[in-house]
Amino acid sequence: MGNPIIDLLTSTYFLEIAVFPGLLSIAILGALLGWMERKLTARVQLRVGPLYASPAGGILQMFADIIKLLFKELTIPDGADRFFFIMSPVTALIIGAALLGLIPFAPGIQIANIEVGLPVFLAIVTLSPTIVLLAGWSANSKFPFIGGLRALFQQTAYEIPLWLSTLGVVIVTGTLSLTGIIEYQQNSGWLIVPQLLGAFLFLVTSTAEMERLPFDLPEAESEIMMGWQAEYPGPLFMLAQGPAFVKLYAFSALFTTIYLGGYLGPAPIPPIVWFFLKTILIITLIMLFRSTFPRVRLDQLLRQGWTTLLTLSIANIIIAYFLVVGIPAI
Amino acid sequence: MVAQGIPEETGYILFLFAATILLVVVVRIVISPRDPRPTPEKRAPFESGQISAGPGRTRFIIQYYPYILMFVVYDVIAMFLFAWALNLRALGSTGTIPVLIFMVVALPPLAYALHLANQRENW
Amino acid sequence: MTDLTFLALATVTVASSILALEARDLVYGAAALGIAFLGMAGLFFLLDASYVAAFQIAVYIGAVVVLILFTVMLVGPQLGEPPLELKRLSLLAAILLSLLLGTAGAVSSASAFPGPDNCGSGCDLVGLSNALINQYGVQLEFLSLVLAAAVIGALTLAKTETKAE
Repeated sequence: MGNPIIDLLTSTYFLEIAVFPGLLSIAILGALLGWMERKLTARVQLRVGPLYASPAGGILQMFADIIKLLFKELTIPDGADRFFFIMSPVTALIIGAALLGLIPFAPGIQIANIEVGLPVFLAIVTLSPTIVLLAGWSANSKFPFIGGLRALFQQTAYEIPLWLSTLGVVIVTGTLSLTGIIEYQQNSGWLIVPQLLGAFLFLVTSTAEMERLPFDLPEAESEIMMGWQAEYPGPLFMLAQGPAFVKLYAFSALFTTIYLGGYLGPAPIPPIVWFFLKTILIITLIMLFRSTFPRVRLDQLLRQGWTTLLTLSIANIIIAYFLVVGIPAI
Repeated sequence: MVAQGIPEETGYILFLFAATILLVVVVRIVISPRDPRPTPEKRAPFESGQISAGPGRTRFIIQYYPYILMFVVYDVIAMFLFAWALNLRALGSTGTIPVLIFMVVALPPLAYALHLANQRENW
Repeated sequence: MTDLTFLALATVTVASSILALEARDLVYGAAALGIAFLGMAGLFFLLDASYVAAFQIAVYIGAVVVLILFTVMLVGPQLGEPPLELKRLSLLAAILLSLLLGTAGAVSSASAFPGPDNCGSGCDLVGLSNALINQYGVQLEFLSLVLAAAVIGALTLAKTETKAE
């Protein structure tokens, strides 16, 4: 017996998707990451950051911003393509949320355990610059369009090194599924040790994928006025900025899973806490990039991506090859 | 997991999602009614105060076309490399020889493309 | 319930491919092509070819559709034609072609093709990799030649002639 609605609401699948690690936790964590970024960059720049919106240190600032943005007017520019203008940020958010469904947060908490989890994650992430291109095109305004084109070219620079840096992980572990990679790390130690170069490359190329400084050409705030997000009014602006934080969370979670052993860690602390500690460490590192490096130029990025980054990722693959096959076997 | 069918809760989750969006929209309309008619100022493209001139989708960055091309081709190559990498422990060095020849044939065009991309006057 | 998934994916794929062909605005057409590829990736997942599905998303939608979109945006809207009128001959051709393909599909599915085996115990990625490299190694080399030719050929076609200095 039991009320069917209560059964539904407490069934594992529903809770996993709707609450954690699904939609509700993504929304709350996305907002908290926005606060963390503003506070962190403020402290680095010797400012205070958000202060007033709350009990402690302005922690509700992002929620206040979300509520404010929800009530703003939706004005769509002249000649803009309405369908893509509205659908692009929504699709970007869906892509970001879908990424988090693939990550194992704790032994048993994973929404979708696919045996090709790693390529599917990277494949879904590859879709987001296409969405940015469509969003920039649809606004029928010069700056968003330039931002969208820059997103396209930026993708061509870093995408191959991103795939190839994870290729080293695949070579060493011999599996494409994220739970398999964690199992390997349980037996043989965290993959950041044999794959240090790969981890570094992954960090750099994923920062480029997330369009964060130093690679935030598509939304360069001081050059092209928020780039592809420039024409987005109120609620759509929130939908356009939100996926940036969700992708940050997703990429840091992936880095933790494939290089730092995911939820593995000594016993008294539960695995989920280990997972979040490691993820927040990586998120902090990526946020510190923002305060430290100036923006790259597009032609610098393209040239460096295709020479330096590609060479380093091929070197990483060769290192992983020799680790697996052994030195004398050439 | 998809091959085993969709669990029934999916419908309820979608319903919850749609209900949330509907709730937000209704609250918006109730709390802040405003005149939805677009005035010319509202509809103009935003350029930080400057009056925009010229059509919206003008500046094309065409000089980086070779990079897009290389990206498409090497994405395909990455797919085959993943198939090789997955099984490296079983394939060993003898299994790597076909892949090595594959890369040796596919990499020199990269150098040629980079060389062409550097000559900006071609585009 | 599997049938419902298949039906939904098939409808999405077919509808968006029709849209890709018939849309007046080419950007809509390119985006619809992307959705069609997404539907195909879903169908690959249903057939337990998850490796192919993942790379279908990555390569087709992530690279090819982007290239098409870029080209369409570059060339501009004047290239889109209005949808062709439904002449009698084209209607007849469409019916005949559907009959032909339907018959071929029915015959091939009724014959002794081994059906997709539900890899409940893990899909055979290792087998795929072994087959690709050991069994089809020569074809792999030809593929690399094709890719190399694609790069060189496309660049040669696309670049403008350098003026004699």
